[in-house]
Amino acid sequence: MSLVTEAVKVWAFAARGGIMNRRNVFAVFEMLFWPLVGLFSVGLLTRFLELGGATVSFVLIGAVAMNTVQIAQLDVSYALLYDVWAKSLKHGFIAPIHLVHVILGAGLVGFIRGLVVFVIMLALSIWAFDMDLRQAGWTGLAVFFLGLFLVAVIEGVLVLSLVLLFGHRAEITAWAISYLVLLLAGLYYPVTLLPTSLQAVAQVIPLTHFMEHFRSFYGFPLSASAPLARGFLLSLAYLAAGYGLITLSLRRARQRGTLLKLSE
Amino acid sequence: MDTAIRAEGLFKTFHSGWRRRRQPVLRDLHLLIPPGTIFGILGPNGAGKTTLISILATLLLPDAGVVEVLGLDVRRQAGKVRRRINLASGAAKFVWSLTVVENLRFYGRLYGLWGRTLAARVEEMVALFELQEYRHSPFETLSSGLKQRLALAKALISRPELLFLDEPTNGLDPIAAQHTREEILRLNRQTGVTIILTTHNLREAEQLCHEVGFLGEGRILAQGSIRALQTQLGLGDRVLLACAGPLPQLDCRQLPGVLRCRQNETHLELVLDHSDSRLPLVIQEIGKAGGQIKTIRVEAADLEDLYREFSH
Repeated sequence: MSLVTEAVKVWAFAARGGIMNRRNVFAVFEMLFWPLVGLFSVGLLTRFLELGGATVSFVLIGAVAMNTVQIAQLDVSYALLYDVWAKSLKHGFIAPIHLVHVILGAGLVGFIRGLVVFVIMLALSIWAFDMDLRQAGWTGLAVFFLGLFLVAVIEGVLVLSLVLLFGHRAEITAWAISYLVLLLAGLYYPVTLLPTSLQAVAQVIPLTHFMEHFRSFYGFPLSASAPLARGFLLSLAYLAAGYGLITLSLRRARQRGTLLKLSE
Repeated sequence: MDTAIRAEGLFKTFHSGWRRRRQPVLRDLHLLIPPGTIFGILGPNGAGKTTLISILATLLLPDAGVVEVLGLDVRRQAGKVRRRINLASGAAKFVWSLTVVENLRFYGRLYGLWGRTLAARVEEMVALFELQEYRHSPFETLSSGLKQRLALAKALISRPELLFLDEPTNGLDPIAAQHTREEILRLNRQTGVTIILTTHNLREAEQLCHEVGFLGEGRILAQGSIRALQTQLGLGDRVLLACAGPLPQLDCRQLPGVLRCRQNETHLELVLDHSDSRLPLVIQEIGKAGGQIKTIRVEAADLEDLYREFSH
């Protein structure tokens, strides 16, 4: 088992994801249309409410985070969903691959598409709503994007696990969970506004800490210390748990015949 | 390695619905398949053919029993098994917007092929299955026959030692089906690859398989060549002979190839294992005994009888 062989298997999923995105007009649509709608609807609302500069940035950070996470997450999910929709899942899993090849390959496409959306949304935030990115700096931006990407991978792995466990029907539930996460992570508001019990839940969501860290550049207080360390440690823990869950889901799919049902 | 497949005491039960209703599919199945052969798994709908092939192909885990593929345990050494096997099914399905070449590249990469090796292997498969004209056609635009050729090309891109074909001619028109059968025979002859296929079609099994196993009640009910199984069950070509005069004294059961016989004064009804080779000798023997044959009617063996015999 050479490193090149392993890299080739990862590249198989990345290359396929790239082709599918290039060829699918809806992929471009979901990358540009929804993020722009999201950004402008929220940005214009801040104008209507006559919010101050820092508060506008606070809200726009939420819009940027939501759209970046959702686009990157879609690509991770698509890694297997293309095969589920095409009913060709068994051909992938009869090959000598591991889930890590699937996730890394699809993650690479998600990273690129997520980065494009992140850059476009920030550029529009500067152009249309005078957001000042100098306060965060390049490092702040890079760390924020990395955090958002990790959250997207975690959500994508969760979607894949649920699809392997419960089949097609789980797709909608899985995507609903990602909205719930955004709601609890303080998308357009500080998590201190949430009911006390939900604030505790917010603290175990990495996105909460990544957004709080980025918002702290604009003078907003933290709800917990060392947000980056918390965010990355939580992300690593969820990634490990997510990998365990998806491995278990695949095993269950092999026990219960879900791989075959999803290929019929 | 003496066997390509060894299954002993194989059990598989599915559970469905909220009440987890049990649906036993395989019950104490035993199977030995020698390497280099084309082996057919036959059985009615719901007999468990796809379940069996999926367990052998590591897509499904057995509940109990020993299953070895190419000498490797399918549970503990599944990764090693996967490197040496591949699968194509009837009604082929791949990602809709990838072209023939892109699909082949994708699956080739999953087996670690890259660079010139991958490019050469893709070209080899495109040429082998005469897909040159369609190399840049998206999968969704291909006809059923072309999709099936792509499925076979995909299954061979990794040069497997063992190939599973799940109803490989399902949904194909007769010409495409015959072409696919010829490809399967050629592959086995030229490369020596062991092929395990499932089919409903007994003619297809007779044309392709060195040996078949009849699957029913979750077990292999009988295993052997189609001809041997026919003989075992006394099923063969039916020959009706009418004589001009009275039938001569003849113990038909002693004639070679006669599985069953029935006679009256002027008519003789025989079931021969192979009428084409046996009938001249039977006619000769009747002539020697002084019989004068007026008419001969031959009805080829109805392989469905064989199927029914094992299925019920």
